Order: sequence, then structure tokens, then C-alpha cells
Amino acid sequence: MRVEYINPFVEAAFSVLKEVLGTEISRGELYLKSSSQPMLGTTAIVGLTGDVEGRVLFDMSLQTALAIASTMNGEEFKSFDDLAKATISELANMITAQAVTKLHDLGFKFDLTPPALFTGENMEVLDTDVEALIVPIDMPLGKIEINVAVRERN
Amino acid sequence: MKAKSDFPSINERQPEGISAEGKAYRVLIVDDSMFVAKQISQILTSEGFEIVDTAYDGEEAVEKYKELYPRIDLVTMDITMPKMDGVTSLEKILEFDNEARVIMISALGKQDLVKKSLMIGAKNYIVKPLDRKKVLERIVMVLKQRS
Ligand SMILES: [Mg+2]
Repeated sequence: MRVEYINPFVEAAFSVLKEVLGTEISRGELYLKSSSQPMLGTTAIVGLTGDVEGRVLFDMSLQTALAIASTMNGEEFKSFDDLAKATISELANMITAQAVTKLHDLGFKFDLTPPALFTGENMEVLDTDVEALIVPIDMPLGKIEINVAVRERN
Repeated sequence: MKAKSDFPSINERQPEGISAEGKAYRVLIVDDSMFVAKQISQILTSEGFEIVDTAYDGEEAVEKYKELYPRIDLVTMDITMPKMDGVTSLEKILEFDNEARVIMISALGKQDLVKKSLMIGAKNYIVKPLDRKKVLERIVMVLKQRS
């Protein structure tokens, strides 16, 4: 997978997270995975289809998801309720939309699916035929892993 | 050539944010979350409302209401905020202007505080997550109950 696909997602994540959370953000080491990977527990997924196809995961622990939802809404959450879920989906939406604008500017044409949210322990993800590139993003509230697996359609 | 006015005016619905007199309703948004304030602002400006100011806690809301008065039509009031919560802020605003139109914006599970606000004099409430249709419906309902 070409790294140029992931940069727009990382840049978008930085600017959106900085805006909605108002916190320090730093980027961890980027790594590649082609075998199945464990998920952190709360995962928003957005699908891409067009010149480029695949999916992007925004993966975090439940605790991080709750902390992010609390900060974004100015509310305390006792459980991962509908508002918290809608907030994490919206966050995925905002980041993806900004990344896609950048990719469209680079000349790639494709559509997005609305975000879907998965929660649960011991989940794994396996992408066949395409490697996943993962960028951990560290914040005081916790870590989000942006996990991109896309390829050009031929 | 036909003039534009010869076509049926199905697209010329009056935006919800414009009063019968043709003026934009003036709204103060109160929320400690920039993210939520922006959501409300986007929904309302898309319908022609004018967001005259945003306050990030209850105290600031009272100050800004007093500054804006009487050129203010509506307040959207978050409940959970630092410094002064939305219910107290509502109370103070109503002490200053007992005709103030305040709509509470509540998270799930805050029924007691919503009930209390309605008893004090809030005109309506909206439960988050915010849905465009629901937000506009509630706000328009309050603006139409003009006393
Ligand atoms: Mg709040």
C-alpha cells in the first residue's frame, strides 16, 4: 500500500482532534500489518470505494472513547450510551471527510460509506489481499490507532 | 423568455430562521463544548437564524444575555457546564427577563434537571445527540408561541 493514502488521514486526524479536544497530540511510529490484528475495543469503520477501495478504522479502548466523548460534549458519561456512540461516529466522519477532500485534491475519486461503530472485547480484524498501515496517535486522553487498508482498483 | 416568477415557487420556502417580518431570529448559544455549540450553530445558520453570540458557561450566558437584551429572541442552554450550570443560569436569566425564551439542551439521563428547568420556566428541551429536524422543530415551536 502506498503511504500517500495514509498521510491525508493522519493530517486530518491531527487537525480535527486538536480542534475538538483542544489537547496535545503526538504521532507514534507507523507500522504495517498483514496478519490479523487485535482491536482495542471501540472501533469506527468507514469504507472507501472508487479508484481507491478499502476501509479505515479508528480504533480505541472503551475508556478512551468515553474520555473523548466526554470532552467533546462537555458531559460526564457513565456508560457508552447513544450520545457517546454518535459522538465517536461523528468524529470518524469529520476526520474522514477532511482526509477525503485532500485525496480528491490529489486526483483520487471515490465514495465513502457512513461510519459504523463496533464495540466488544477480543475482536480481531483480518484484511485479506491488502496490508493495513497503522498510525498510533497519542493524546493525554488515550490512544487512537488509525488503521488504513486501501488499494488502487485495477 | 419566462420571468423567474412565472415558475411555481416550490423552492421558495421561507427559511425557519426568518420571522414573519422578514428578520432573522437572534440566538445566543450556551454550551461548554465547542463541538456541540458548532453543531447547533450549523443547523441554525443553515435555516437563516443569526447566532449573535456563544457563551461557554452559565455565568457568561447571564452576562451576554444582559448585554444583548432586548435584541435577543432565543437561548439554547446546555445543562452540564463549569462555573455555573444551565439550570442556575436559566434562573438568573429569567430573574432579569421573565419573558426570556430558553431551550434546554440535555444529555440522556438528565430527566430530573430537565423537569426542574421546565418548572422554572424553560420553554422546551432537546435531548442530545442533536438531530437537525428535532432541533428545528422544537425551536420553531417555541418561537411561534410568541406571547
Ligand atoms: Mg456541557
